[in-house]
Amino acid sequence: MATRKPSGTSRNTREANPSAPAGVRDAVIVGGNRIPFSRAGKKYADASNQEMFTAALEGLVARYGLQGERLGEVVGGAVLKHSRDFNLVRESVLGSSLSPQTPAFDLQQACATGLEAAITVANKIRLGQIESGVAGGSDTISDAPVAVSEGLRRALLDASHAKTLQARLKAFAKIRPADLKPLTPATDEPRTGLSMGEHQAVTTARWGISRAAQDEVALASHQHLAAAWDAGFFDDLVTPFRGLTRDDNLRADTSLEKLAKLKPVFGRGLAEPAEPTMTAGNSTPLTDGASTVLLSSAAWAAERDLPVLARLVDAETAAVDFVHGHDGLLMAPVHAVPRLLARNGLTLGDFDFFEIHEAFASTVLTTLAAWEDADYCKAELGLEAPLGSVDREKLNVNGSSLAAGHPFAATGGRILATAAKLVAAKAAETGRPARALISICAAGGLGATAVVESV
Amino acid sequence: MTAAAPATSAGEPLRVETLPTLPGLGSLYARGAAASGRIAAGRAMPGLPVIGQGRSEGDGEPAPLTLPDVAYRVTRVPTAELAHHLHDYQRLLHEPVTDVLPAGYLHVLAFPLATAVMVRGDFPLPLLGMVHLANDVELRGPVVVGDVLEVRAWAENLRPHKRGVQVDLVAEVRPQADPDAGPVWRGVSTYLAKGFHLPWSDEADAPRDEPADADAEDRAPAGTWTPPLPTGRWALGPGTGRAYGAVSGDRNPIHLSALSAKAFGFPRAIAHGMYTAARALADVGHARGDAYRWTVEFASPVLLPGTVDVAVTPDDDGFAYVGWNGGRRRQHFRGTVTPL
Repeated sequence: MATRKPSGTSRNTREANPSAPAGVRDAVIVGGNRIPFSRAGKKYADASNQEMFTAALEGLVARYGLQGERLGEVVGGAVLKHSRDFNLVRESVLGSSLSPQTPAFDLQQACATGLEAAITVANKIRLGQIESGVAGGSDTISDAPVAVSEGLRRALLDASHAKTLQARLKAFAKIRPADLKPLTPATDEPRTGLSMGEHQAVTTARWGISRAAQDEVALASHQHLAAAWDAGFFDDLVTPFRGLTRDDNLRADTSLEKLAKLKPVFGRGLAEPAEPTMTAGNSTPLTDGASTVLLSSAAWAAERDLPVLARLVDAETAAVDFVHGHDGLLMAPVHAVPRLLARNGLTLGDFDFFEIHEAFASTVLTTLAAWEDADYCKAELGLEAPLGSVDREKLNVNGSSLAAGHPFAATGGRILATAAKLVAAKAAETGRPARALISICAAGGLGATAVVESV
Repeated sequence: MTAAAPATSAGEPLRVETLPTLPGLGSLYARGAAASGRIAAGRAMPGLPVIGQGRSEGDGEPAPLTLPDVAYRVTRVPTAELAHHLHDYQRLLHEPVTDVLPAGYLHVLAFPLATAVMVRGDFPLPLLGMVHLANDVELRGPVVVGDVLEVRAWAENLRPHKRGVQVDLVAEVRPQADPDAGPVWRGVSTYLAKGFHLPWSDEADAPRDEPADADAEDRAPAGTWTPPLPTGRWALGPGTGRAYGAVSGDRNPIHLSALSAKAFGFPRAIAHGMYTAARALADVGHARGDAYRWTVEFASPVLLPGTVDVAVTPDDDGFAYVGWNGGRRRQHFRGTVTPL
């Protein structure tokens, strides 16, 4: 190890992260800020992605006194994005009180967008390319872009390329009444035509996950999130927006009885013995919102006297072969985590917190079941023994997407800021380093995972 | 030429008639409708001479149905100008847009020649009203835009089916550069003509051409078959038949609109069988390779608009697929795609 030890890296860091390549320094998480998440069509019904992302970013700037600061990079994205928002993040930066000399770019990896943005910013910091950066994301269902049909689009393009009136009229003459129907964004997988919920219903059936187990995950999510709000956990992570001060999907008073009354919405067409078990209660609702996380080098934070919550230690993405049903659409993090743990010399027992994105309650449960399944771990993950069990007491302790909602690109920032604050508090409480594992599944059979550790 | 002297699969020699160009399907349907009318009229009035059912042998018994012993051939079929049409086909069927002709596209190209056989005056069965039962296609290597092709087609293997008679329409595509080397694409389309009867095969001793249990499963009442977990779902709009009709040239009225389909006894327009089979072929993706066998059996029509649940899954040699109606749990089609 000594030969790989770069100068200027603290002894503490080397011990905690022996796998970090030489010449790479820490990327630390200073803090996060988001706006409350809102169910689609409610408080943020007329808020655009840019307005929401700018609000989340400006709240972050205000919290950490970054007015006029030239940050290294601001990286984020939106999953449902209008083509006019080609520079969504840069435009948001220009609309904020950050220095206009702060560069920015958009990226997108479906529901993993926010975490992928943080991984990207952290890697630039670790390589010394930037000293500071913001990662985040924004999504709106309420203000989603509406596209024209392929027939109308072709006709409009042909007409715009036409040189004569006659040619233009000829192009318009090709429009059929059916072409005038607008296309709204769908959550259907392009290659299969199945919605994400229908895909997960198949995975749920294959793993035999019960309705009761899913409702328990949903109940815990609401109870944990409500308790965290009541305890003031989000006081320095959220800025009110458009009159909303809390996530409005949160149902603090829900119960297993109430959840049990809901009718299944996914998997209703599946044949026996698969029972439809996925309801609006144990699936995430469509949500609007935005989130940001401030990352930097340890030195940059120290110079500005900013607190440091945690380090983003390492990350791993994965993808699964779901098109012909070989694996479940949302099972990619199941593959990413063993690789991430092996690279960092960790096991599931080394974590104090597990933040597993609740796309659906059953996604969490199929993930946990797969890591405990010897056959799956051997055949699909190439492990000699099951990866192991996740201590449910450490799982999504402050609630997750079932309660908070899931504005696709904003979820990564929400989870990362929560995890960073959790490990910081745990380390302060116990005097020992604390560690969190983040797992986010995404459309397209994608998944992103990361390890966050107290400093 | 002797090595490649055209013959049926059973080895019966065929007379080759060379046509100047590939016929278009649209005009053939008009001719088919006229011929079908004559045959239907003949069938309704026993004892009258029946066009296409052979000569009466004088004792009042109809002679056996016979297929024309002719193979149609079109040589030097160019594909250089087909890129635009090919890409329309590929977009509609969810194929990757390339200059490689998928097996389903070669069917679209070659099948009108087989249809031309079916509308001959001496073809014994009516084109309209025939039911497409199955297809068995082999693509033995890539065919690309720019290749010059020879297409051949004939009918063979007329045989009883419990609801009528069935016949195979064979179409072949050969590279013009070396037509004797064998077809690069070969498709066998099996059609049923309901209500027709082969005099030499009474119901009692009719050879069963398909196992009884498989038949029972296919024709079972809705709801008794248990579908697998789906891997995909197709939402087929009301214009699906018109769109495939436009790209394939197969504008059979049963596919075009509810009104025209009702005239043939369907409650709504139905999707082309080959559209569904070609969508399944596209769903297999590039794992099928450049050469593959592609089969389909049709069980019940897909009404438009409609939703089809599909499972496209790897099996021992390649892929198996099945499509069904999720609500009624009724199979629409099933088949295989096997790399060669």
